Amino acid sequence: MNKPDKVTHLFKRPEHLAPVNVTMETAYEIEQFLYAEAELLDAWEFNDWLALMAADVHYWAPVRENRMAREAEQEMYPPGTAAHFDENLQMLGQRVARLYTHMSWSESPASRTRHLISNVRAHTTDKADEFQVQSSFHVYRTSSERHQDSVVGRRFDLLRRADNAYGFQIADRTVVFDMSMLLVKNLSSFY
Amino acid sequence: MDVSKFIDAEKGLIKGEIFHSQEIYEEELEQVFARSWCFLAHDSMIPEPGDFMQNYIGEDPVLVVRQEDGSVKAFLNQCRHRGMRLCRADLGNAKNFMCSFHGWNYGIDGELINAPHSDQIYESLDPDVFRATQVRLANYKGFIFGTWDKTVADFEEYLGDFAWYFDAYVDRFEGGMEVVGVHKWVLPANWKFNAEQPSSDMYHGEVSHGSAFQVMVPLSAEGAPPPWAMEQLGKLSQPAGYQFTAPNGHGTGWFNGGMPLMDETILKWHQSTETEVSARLGADRFAIAGHANIFPTFMMLSNYTFRVTHPRGPDEMEIWAWSMAPKNAAAEVKEAIRLDLLRTFSPAGMFEQDDAVNWEEEQRIMRGHMARKKPLVYQQMLGRARYDADGLPGKTVPHVYAEEAARGMYQHYADLMSGKPWPDLEKLKKAREQRERAELAAAASPAPKAASGGSQ
Repeated sequence: MNKPDKVTHLFKRPEHLAPVNVTMETAYEIEQFLYAEAELLDAWEFNDWLALMAADVHYWAPVRENRMAREAEQEMYPPGTAAHFDENLQMLGQRVARLYTHMSWSESPASRTRHLISNVRAHTTDKADEFQVQSSFHVYRTSSERHQDSVVGRRFDLLRRADNAYGFQIADRTVVFDMSMLLVKNLSSFY
Repeated sequence: MDVSKFIDAEKGLIKGEIFHSQEIYEEELEQVFARSWCFLAHDSMIPEPGDFMQNYIGEDPVLVVRQEDGSVKAFLNQCRHRGMRLCRADLGNAKNFMCSFHGWNYGIDGELINAPHSDQIYESLDPDVFRATQVRLANYKGFIFGTWDKTVADFEEYLGDFAWYFDAYVDRFEGGMEVVGVHKWVLPANWKFNAEQPSSDMYHGEVSHGSAFQVMVPLSAEGAPPPWAMEQLGKLSQPAGYQFTAPNGHGTGWFNGGMPLMDETILKWHQSTETEVSARLGADRFAIAGHANIFPTFMMLSNYTFRVTHPRGPDEMEIWAWSMAPKNAAAEVKEAIRLDLLRTFSPAGMFEQDDAVNWEEEQRIMRGHMARKKPLVYQQMLGRARYDADGLPGKTVPHVYAEEAARGMYQHYADLMSGKPWPDLEKLKKAREQRERAELAAAASPAPKAASGGSQ
């Protein structure tokens, strides 16, 4: 089996744990961008959401497993192995198109989602127009008569300033779900 | 337990009570899961000495561990003292397993090495009393199965004719298979839905998964699918193929020419392997893989997902799905297989997501009185079964859309649930098959009828 690589433990990377170093104005712009993105997802404006992705976007969500304490740093599967999402722009486009076929039964009738975004922290990068941004999410979903569930996790984004209505593009996103075994029936939304 | 009032396999009528009842569920843990061969691991998941993984037989957690001599042992992941879970990790490498309750320490073979202060408080540590409960194991071409039952036939005999079909999934290539990763998730539905479907229900694909086919089909510059993709989609609009059922409840089905493939890299690679696979398995087995289930819950698809469904009450299942790949395939082929699998058959997969909703609603509605009163109809290709026809071993029907394997699965399920010992069940199954073969021979002798429907 491909052994998970220690460096993939995203929560422990020094660059993620470092104090925030962007200006208050930049922090505000980044937060507002993430809130706008969440609003588009909850409003089922998935094509507008897709337009926020950079042409070279990589949208990735590794699988996690329960490990003994001494192997804790191997809990995430490394790139190229088990993932919930591992998408480029064209692949994300297929997922969005599926939602509009009216035969995507997991979302037809549509579920109602609320993407709550918090704990936003941003750092500068080598490039003046790109920022490393971490944020936590709580996606609450109800569907059908009585179904409800929650998916909680943290995202590690590379945001790039862009000439669009919201000011940024998502150039890279890693989604880390807090669950190892997913206690939900499916992952039918975007996170 | 007598479940025959809910299951009439010969007529293809099954009542929803078997998906709903807590009483039936408790009996299943004893009569079905504890008496069947269950998938535990693949060799590539635990390659080195001390490598272990946890899996389940029904609701019982099992540690599967590679030993120093390269062999594999498996035992109940439970301390003999107070029943605590011995190891709380999903996988890893260990020199021993120490219970975190009182510190009892077990070897990787499940033998108790030490209990703190044992010389003062126990007469002896009799291994027969103190060792972790051992699982009987079988290794079939790298796939490790286990059972608690000492009377069930050896694994290959348990597979019966299904072994011939199983090889079309697991023995296609020199070097065998290797694991790539795993997905685990929970679904609010009965485990049998996810045993029945890969055995017997290719029929759902066209509608349940219509959206995924729509968006995954590649389009040329003119906006139309290329000829190769149209040919693949044609398998859905003009379905032809076969379904197989085994006396022990295993089932498989396939489209003639194989499953519709939407990924050009994978399709071209698949076609390029025909010579190698045909040399290994015979030309007749190159394209017979589609979907399959080894009873009770080890399912596989020809896209290299291999998975177990663990029962968690009558209304909940856990799906543990490993993605695998032919070990010796080129790196870009393995990567295409990995991406295709996670994007189609994982909890976020564009096919898998929709199965979840079918099963959730199916389960929910079984709470109703009327929903369980009138039997559900499992009558596709009823009365069309033949033995050893068209070069296919065992009992098949000549259509890919059929429910022969579901009828076979529920017949076996009812047999097991009766509680009759395995030797009696084997006699019963043998007599049933002899009777069916005799009836078919009698019906065929006056006016032999050519097989039809299965061939293109």
